[in-house]
Amino acid sequence: MTTTDQRPTDRERGPVAETALADTTDTAAGGRAWAVVAAREIVVRLTNRAFLVSTLITLVFIAGFGAFSVWEGSRTTTYTVAVAGSDGRALVERAAVSARQDDDKVSVVATSVSGEPAARTLVDEGSADAWLHETGTGWTLTSADDADLALRTAVESALRSTALERNAAAAGTTVQALEQGTTLTTTRFDGQVGNSGFVKGATFAFALLFFMAAMMFGQQISASVVEEKQSRLVEILATAIPLRQLLAGKILGNSVIALGQVVLFAAVGLVAVSFTDLSTLLPSLSTAVVWFVLFFAVGFFALACLYAVAGALASRTEDLQSTTAPMTTILMAVYVASFGLSGKALEVASFVPIASVVSMPGRLLAGDAAWWEPVVALLLMAGFSAVTVVVGERIYRRSLMQSGGRVSWKQALTAQD
Amino acid sequence: MSASGERLTRPRATADIELRHLSRTFGEIRAVDDVSFDVPAGLLTGFVGGNGAGKTTTMRMLMGVLSATAGEVLWDGRPITQLDRRSFGYMPEERGLYPKQAVLDQLVYLGRLRGLSAAAARASVTSHLERLGLADRAKDHVEKLSLGNQQRVQIVAALMGHPRALVLDEPFSGLDPAAVDNMADLLREHTARGVPVLFSSHQLDLVERLCERLVVLARGRVVASGTPEDLRSHSVARHRLVLSGDAGWVRGVPGIHAVDVEGSTALLEVVEHGAERRLLEEALRRGEVHEFSPQRPSLAQIYREVTA
Repeated sequence: MTTTDQRPTDRERGPVAETALADTTDTAAGGRAWAVVAAREIVVRLTNRAFLVSTLITLVFIAGFGAFSVWEGSRTTTYTVAVAGSDGRALVERAAVSARQDDDKVSVVATSVSGEPAARTLVDEGSADAWLHETGTGWTLTSADDADLALRTAVESALRSTALERNAAAAGTTVQALEQGTTLTTTRFDGQVGNSGFVKGATFAFALLFFMAAMMFGQQISASVVEEKQSRLVEILATAIPLRQLLAGKILGNSVIALGQVVLFAAVGLVAVSFTDLSTLLPSLSTAVVWFVLFFAVGFFALACLYAVAGALASRTEDLQSTTAPMTTILMAVYVASFGLSGKALEVASFVPIASVVSMPGRLLAGDAAWWEPVVALLLMAGFSAVTVVVGERIYRRSLMQSGGRVSWKQALTAQD
Repeated sequence: MSASGERLTRPRATADIELRHLSRTFGEIRAVDDVSFDVPAGLLTGFVGGNGAGKTTTMRMLMGVLSATAGEVLWDGRPITQLDRRSFGYMPEERGLYPKQAVLDQLVYLGRLRGLSAAAARASVTSHLERLGLADRAKDHVEKLSLGNQQRVQIVAALMGHPRALVLDEPFSGLDPAAVDNMADLLREHTARGVPVLFSSHQLDLVERLCERLVVLARGRVVASGTPEDLRSHSVARHRLVLSGDAGWVRGVPGIHAVDVEGSTALLEVVEHGAERRLLEEALRRGEVHEFSPQRPSLAQIYREVTA
């Protein structure tokens, strides 16, 4: 096939022979418009000082949590207890053993004093934490302020054991005999070792991360849509490219940035966790995080589209608060549900699109979801996102060109093209 | 894509824009009512009319930003498509740009959306900014520019990259006289390329000076269209009469409408053919006639007549 050029010559076209719109306006160029829009969204966001600063602050916060945990973990606390006699010293030594059993970072040592004035001096100058002495009713632990719980527990336990041994001997028996049958062992039907505090904490982190990212990027999308609508720039854009491509570019550009940020936070968070006592749980946590990111990516498409529609419904930036209200409500509900639900309700929520972003990874972490459950939940959400994008695109197109005031969600849904 | 398939759909570089029976209603209000006119290739067509006459609504329908209740727009003799409009330069009535983005960056962005390569968009934007005296502001954020300069940026957005047609809503508003001349020169360069240009304006003197054709809109309808000469020939002829004495008596001459009488000078319209002969005879009987000349009606006068 020959490709003879039948385009107008430079003479026909005009005096200046640079690339003209007329020559590049074909469907191929039009098909890439969404990429140009997406690229602009990304560049604008990445060069936004407020965005960079808030990202940095969050990163510092996450890394700081890790560093604090490491410092906290490596710290040993030593309690010095002033005692007068050998009975006291024996009690403190026993307390030291008990304290080490509870937490290997805590030690208790004894120091000898002659009496109350000397003990008070030692405590006042900080070389002792408390004074253990015998009174008419038993033993008393006196300190400058309330005694630390760890120290109190250790001394209490030592005192209790000593007294029990003495009383048992007086009754002609032993402590072991007395305590026989008092141990309660806990197990779970699923055979797992319980770690509900950790699961709760991680689920809360997912919820917070999702809530923050969705709110921040969602608001930014609607703000950028209403900016174009308010300034009527959209009229120039609408004559240049199909509005569908404008919307696609916006959703894509912002989703890439949002996802990038979440992945960054999650990665730094995992590294931080690896430095803590929880590092043994890292494999299951990492799996949950990967699922969370997957759910986030799919779910954010639907949210991004809804926020773009909210922007199109507004006619001025001031309207955004009311047009984005439905999404704010949904996000708040998901956030609250993440730590408010349990059992069957949580199981149901983990399949409900948007809510599943937080609750399914949480269930995976807790180990009570079968392998197919996240897959089904993800497919459900993908379906929901697809429907949202299709319906949202129609509303976006209809309302974007309406300049006369705010359009309600109901009006937009029922309006004709 | 096959080269031959592309050739079939590729339109000529320039063509006429034809508006055919365009109407638009907003609720009960008929904003544009059966509007038909042409914007011929290579000509500057002025679009005049009072506030609320329907100019902006018509232009928005032309650009496909607003759908028409009835009627159609033809390009190159066939119904216009969104793809055709993509190669048009359009300047909406209400101006707006991204306030927090640099001038050059956002113009290149708009150029790329219209299908220019980044390099071609940059070259075209840079040369236009130089023409309009904004080259040193290329890296500034738009919000830092004066309104007049923002207007110029908007002009570049419409004119860059050799558009196939120009549809400009009030392009001259807010420009100083030097910028108006600059803009007029630019528009003439585009018509010289054979591009049809339609622009609306309130400034009738400007329209008169620039336009080869004009369309007058009133209450949503076209009340006059054609070359300024066409319009003048349809206008009622006016004469200026200067006498040696008082001219008050002309008010009583049958077939003559005295538009304005001041001392010995009168501005007259000849309502009944032949009445001017009676008038002159009477004037000569009363004294001397210093001047009796036909008046070339100004566009403002024609405008008032057709929109009255």
